[in-house]
Amino acid sequence: MNAPSTPPASWDGQKRNQQARIERGAALAKGREVAGADIVRLLEAVIEPGDRVCIEGNNQKQADFLARSLVRTDPALVRDLHLVQSVLALPEHVDLIEQGQVRRIDFSFSGPQAGRLANLVEQGRIEIGAIHTYLELFGRYFIDLTPKVALIAAQAADREGNLYTGPNTEDTPAIVEATAFRNGIVIAQVNEVVDRLPRVDIPADWVDFFVKAPTPHYIEPLFTRDPAQITEIQILMAMIAIKGLYAEYGITRLNHGIGFDTAAIELLLPTYAAELGLKGKICTNWALNPHPTLIPAIEAGFVHSVHCFGSEVGMERYIAARPDVFFVGRDGSLRSNRAFSQAAGHYACDLFIGSTLQIDLEGNSSTATKGRIAGFGGAPNMGSDARGRRHPSPAWLRAGREASPNAAMPRGRKLVAQIVESSREHMQPAFVERLDAWELAETAGMELPPVMIYAEDVTHVITEEGSAHLLRCTTPEEREQAIRGVAGYTQVGLGRDRRMVENLRDRGIVRYPQDLGIDKRLATRDLLAARNIKDLVHASGGLYNPPVHFRNW
Amino acid sequence: MSVKKTSFFEASARTRIARLVDPGSFSEFCPPQLRHTSPHLARLHAPVAFDDGVAVGCARLAGHPVLIAAQEGRFNGGAVGEVHGAKLAGLLDKAVSERPAAVLLLVDSGGVRLHEANAGLIAISELMRAVLRTQAAGIPVFALIGGSCGAFGGMGIVARLCAEVVMSEQGRMGLSGPEVIETVMGVEEFDSRDRALVWRVTGGKVRRALGEATRLVEDDVAAFRAVTADLLAEYGARPLKPSSLDTLFDAHARLTARTRRFSAARDGREIFAASGFSDIDGVPLMAVDAFNRHLMETA
Repeated sequence: MNAPSTPPASWDGQKRNQQARIERGAALAKGREVAGADIVRLLEAVIEPGDRVCIEGNNQKQADFLARSLVRTDPALVRDLHLVQSVLALPEHVDLIEQGQVRRIDFSFSGPQAGRLANLVEQGRIEIGAIHTYLELFGRYFIDLTPKVALIAAQAADREGNLYTGPNTEDTPAIVEATAFRNGIVIAQVNEVVDRLPRVDIPADWVDFFVKAPTPHYIEPLFTRDPAQITEIQILMAMIAIKGLYAEYGITRLNHGIGFDTAAIELLLPTYAAELGLKGKICTNWALNPHPTLIPAIEAGFVHSVHCFGSEVGMERYIAARPDVFFVGRDGSLRSNRAFSQAAGHYACDLFIGSTLQIDLEGNSSTATKGRIAGFGGAPNMGSDARGRRHPSPAWLRAGREASPNAAMPRGRKLVAQIVESSREHMQPAFVERLDAWELAETAGMELPPVMIYAEDVTHVITEEGSAHLLRCTTPEEREQAIRGVAGYTQVGLGRDRRMVENLRDRGIVRYPQDLGIDKRLATRDLLAARNIKDLVHASGGLYNPPVHFRNW
Repeated sequence: MSVKKTSFFEASARTRIARLVDPGSFSEFCPPQLRHTSPHLARLHAPVAFDDGVAVGCARLAGHPVLIAAQEGRFNGGAVGEVHGAKLAGLLDKAVSERPAAVLLLVDSGGVRLHEANAGLIAISELMRAVLRTQAAGIPVFALIGGSCGAFGGMGIVARLCAEVVMSEQGRMGLSGPEVIETVMGVEEFDSRDRALVWRVTGGKVRRALGEATRLVEDDVAAFRAVTADLLAEYGARPLKPSSLDTLFDAHARLTARTRRFSAARDGREIFAASGFSDIDGVPLMAVDAFNRHLMETA
């Protein structure tokens, strides 16, 4: 060896630092258990300035008590933090920034706090490392963004500190795996401490401290869509999706984005899709949260399996009673896992379909709007071609052939569909010449406009006017006209070249309901397998227990 | 799972009529092309409807001749204005001369149309008199209630004057509507956004348990049709008796019994308890058949 080598003074500095933190914390704990009244002091004792901290939470489960407690720590002791976490969803997450305790954030999604966050960025009060997809952020937990302290949420702990997450396991395994095995500190808030857990989701020796929260951790019923609010336009779009996309490709493995558009598809499976003879031929295997609107399709025997990112409030008993469909533990309750389900959605599904707010003339789509830094969540991973995929399936192969009919090297292709009404509420057009994402990138100093799904990944755009089969377009001009051809009564839609759109129709690239043999007059709510939440309860045999504000009983 | 039923709750007034009566038998009076619109709304520069929010006409149901009206809840909440009320009152007058098997009122209304002030109030009172006059002539009037606006205000009174009140669980009936009570008495008295409270105080099941609704049916136009056909057959066999002192005594006896049975009840839950239901929380989820069977058994 020619280079002068300076080996580090020791190889276990981080390990010893971890030990020191645990000892400081242990002084405030009984075994691993910390009293609620001591949690603020415990956080002050184990967190050091400059630490990377992960406050667990997603759009469902939130470590809300630990977040509230962190806000109450002394800013002189707990400061310069680098938050590395899936979401900035709670007001407390942003309070920490406003109190000057956080220097930098890396995250995926900020949803409800998007406006406040954009303000803080503009005022220069916070550095954003990057906005990730869930899988990217989880990936970086194991490379260069490993949390030093993870504040997680579980349903229950036993006296030793083994954790039961309940159906909302979500991100916990990914966070704990990275933190616990890389000299970090794992602190869990639990709803209850019991003598014996139904099952162990996280073993005690990966957990340093746990505290019983005064109130159960908050879970947002994010995936519940009341069928009563589904419109006939959405039903028409669902018919176009089922007949023009699902049936045509024989899509069995898929993921649905959240929203009323996809809820309408789920509710049309036992009626419209069944009438088309598609039972067993489409929609058999899912990466999906347990959507209540999927209940009628499950009961009709459409669905063979569902792996879940998280759970959904009120679905617990139904899931437990359908272990052939869902992934459940020996105890009978759901085991969700966001990291695995995201990987499954990316690599093992042939179709992603979801809604968006804006689509440009190339087909880039974005949910970013001016003055709000909302982030990505998981949609970019679901809604992108998996270039590392190698296993074939008929739908994937067919899409690959359509994308490059004359390619020397045959390839498969994931189907990525965007389903939108041409105009949103307040007559805001969904089709635009320039995405708001560009303006947001400028004002927030981002290096890239925050695009949810890139044009090159989008294979289909479905609106109330029809479906644009972008895979079959051969030139950028065709692509633009195909998008204009389904953009309805918007400036983009009105700007279409009618002759070219007719030509695209002849070639089956732009297809209107009549081209697909769909009678628009049949697009009525009579097609829904459930018209309201109560119908879903009846369809579940009384097992689904919807949250109070979704009930009229 | 029942597929492709027509939800009465969601259907428009004309769809309700079309699917309720014998196919193709409906013939509309004062049809849309005559454009009998409200002069009051026009003066206020408010939108008008070509039928002023109600369709009236004659039809057959299971072969029986009926006169029929359906309020359109999607126009001003089915509220009764001068033209709207005149169409309904005229229909009832026509019944006295034409003597159909019954008059069917598909009620979907929050009551008087406030824009029309006195004209709307007068219309309601004329309508009440017309119902009584028609029934005094031996023609029964049936109220069918299952729309999103329910039957409130003046139309709540009109409905209760009818010989039969057929409701679905989604239907609601009352005098002051939930929002009105909240506005006047405060949210502590009645929280109109608490949908569970609204339905267990005004909904079809509690009205049936109280005996104010005489039939409870599924939210399906076919179910409304079936029970209306049964009622037409019943009244065909036993025609409506004109009011007399005896019928008045009967009505008083029924009211006294009801008061005795439910006087302690402050809420729908207590009414269900007093009606002999054991699983009170389960009542809203009970199938209509099971609910009706239980009421029959405990009656």
